[in-house]
Amino acid sequence: MNVGLNEYILLSVLLFVIGFFGVLLRKNTLVIYMCLELMLIASTLALVAFSRFNGRMDGNVFVFFILTVAAAEVAVGLAIIVALFRKRLTVQVEELNSLKN
Amino acid sequence: MNLDYAGLFRALAPETAIVVGALAVLGVDLTLLRGRSLATRMNVAALISALSVLVAFMLNGTCPCGRCWVGASGPVFGGALMFDSLANATRGGILGLVLLTIGVSTGARINRNPAEYLSILLFATVGFLLMAAAQQLLVAFLSLELASLSLYILAGFDKTRPDSAEAGLKYFLFGGMSAAFLLFGFSLLYGLTGSIELNHVADGLRHQGISPLLIVALVMVIVAFGFKAAAAPFHLWAPDAYQGAPTPSAALIASASKLAGIVFFARLLWSGLGFSAGNVSYAFTSVGWLPIVAVLSGVSMFVGNLAALAQTNVRRLLAYSAISHAGILLLGLIAVSRNGTSPIFYYATTYGIATAGAFGVIGVLERQGGCDSISDLAGLYRRSPLLAGCLMVFILSLAGVPPLAGFFGKFYVFAATLKLAGLAGVAGWLTILAILFSAVALYYYMVVLKQALVVAPAKDATPVRVPIAAAVTLVLAAIAIVAFGIWPSVLLGAV
Repeated sequence: MNVGLNEYILLSVLLFVIGFFGVLLRKNTLVIYMCLELMLIASTLALVAFSRFNGRMDGNVFVFFILTVAAAEVAVGLAIIVALFRKRLTVQVEELNSLKN
Repeated sequence: MNLDYAGLFRALAPETAIVVGALAVLGVDLTLLRGRSLATRMNVAALISALSVLVAFMLNGTCPCGRCWVGASGPVFGGALMFDSLANATRGGILGLVLLTIGVSTGARINRNPAEYLSILLFATVGFLLMAAAQQLLVAFLSLELASLSLYILAGFDKTRPDSAEAGLKYFLFGGMSAAFLLFGFSLLYGLTGSIELNHVADGLRHQGISPLLIVALVMVIVAFGFKAAAAPFHLWAPDAYQGAPTPSAALIASASKLAGIVFFARLLWSGLGFSAGNVSYAFTSVGWLPIVAVLSGVSMFVGNLAALAQTNVRRLLAYSAISHAGILLLGLIAVSRNGTSPIFYYATTYGIATAGAFGVIGVLERQGGCDSISDLAGLYRRSPLLAGCLMVFILSLAGVPPLAGFFGKFYVFAATLKLAGLAGVAGWLTILAILFSAVALYYYMVVLKQALVVAPAKDATPVRVPIAAAVTLVLAAIAIVAFGIWPSVLLGAV
């Protein structure tokens, strides 16, 4: 089978949708966070595929920056989750409802 | 691609000043101020931050003499950044709003790490400044993430309160999702046009019609925009973030971040995706991103105003008022094609001053007792006439009462949308809806003012002591609201 641009884009859309539904449906903050990363990686795959089929490098360069930003996001996100866990002793989103009118 | 590093350095002199300031704040706190009291450390950190923001303000824009070393105009660094009058005016506005936020933070409850707090605030400012000038998808994404990641930290900064961490987490999860949507939209745009330069993207889209892939890309970019502007139905983070975050963080999220975000997306949508905008001036809309923006605008005004009526918490009320103001900002974005960006720049700047000022008043009250529900404001005119007067100016400006700046902001946006095609189409109908909702909004703003200015104070209420720096900041902000209302051309002419 010849793998072309369409297959790559299909895979990337699939990853993005899986990540999106994970964010919507899962209850554990850490799993939600993994699904967010999956959505970022889906865009990365699309960028690399487009970059290769356009014959230009700027998509690949973009990906390097995305990976760096994702690493920074891990640092910030996990720090917030740890800070929350210390105060509330839970990472389940349905128990995080103290902010109400 | 013409890479001019000296030109880049000249253009980014304000950012350099702010980064140096952030490092100086950290350095001074860690060396000279060891063992000093928290209040001293806070004041020194705020002083250094304010100085660096002032230096950046002076370095921003081109000097009229034309011989100066700093400043830039036009595209810089091969078109990655664009320093037009909108960018320079927005950068000035952002710096002003950040200065206001630093003043607010001197009056709010002091957290345990004042230097770290203010340096992260300055890093967020660098992100905002770059957002205002970004003309390339990569620079746009990086500046947006620099600003967002700093804001997540600022929202969750108060480690002593569980509310703050919860606000930070919710802001982070929604923000991370919107960043992923924006990035996927960017990658589809790159695939469709083969370039990450905004003007090449525009050229690429000019020659192709609306394809399904392009519609997906547009929807994704608009979802991210809706999050950043806190427009319904992507507003769910806003009430929680505004309520739980430390007061200066909430002020920054509501003011400078809003201004940077709206200009960022105005540039992205109009100069990058302008050829697939569609049309909402007439009853029959044509396909593009404008109809989606029009829907978001209507829903935001509806949700924001009606939900604000039911609030008893001041911060949540300000959050829902922010959502309804986002609806009006989106309405202004629709009219950019015809009237330029000056109405939304004026609206976002004056709204930012008013809302950051209101948060400043809440912050001072919180430091001495608390200010959760609206009834905690009771008798403010006795406890502190200064705070009550400032709060009156800010709230009346948010409500849009002449001659304050909030009135003229609404006026220019509504005039711009009505100039599109009068009442012949969706844009005109939305304007009528916005005018009707302004009357609804007057009610909940008056409820706040009634508590502050009419209701007698509680028996055990004590006078409020306002720190000098915070008092000066709030008075200056109130004067700015009045002055920009009387001389709107100062801001309108800057764009």
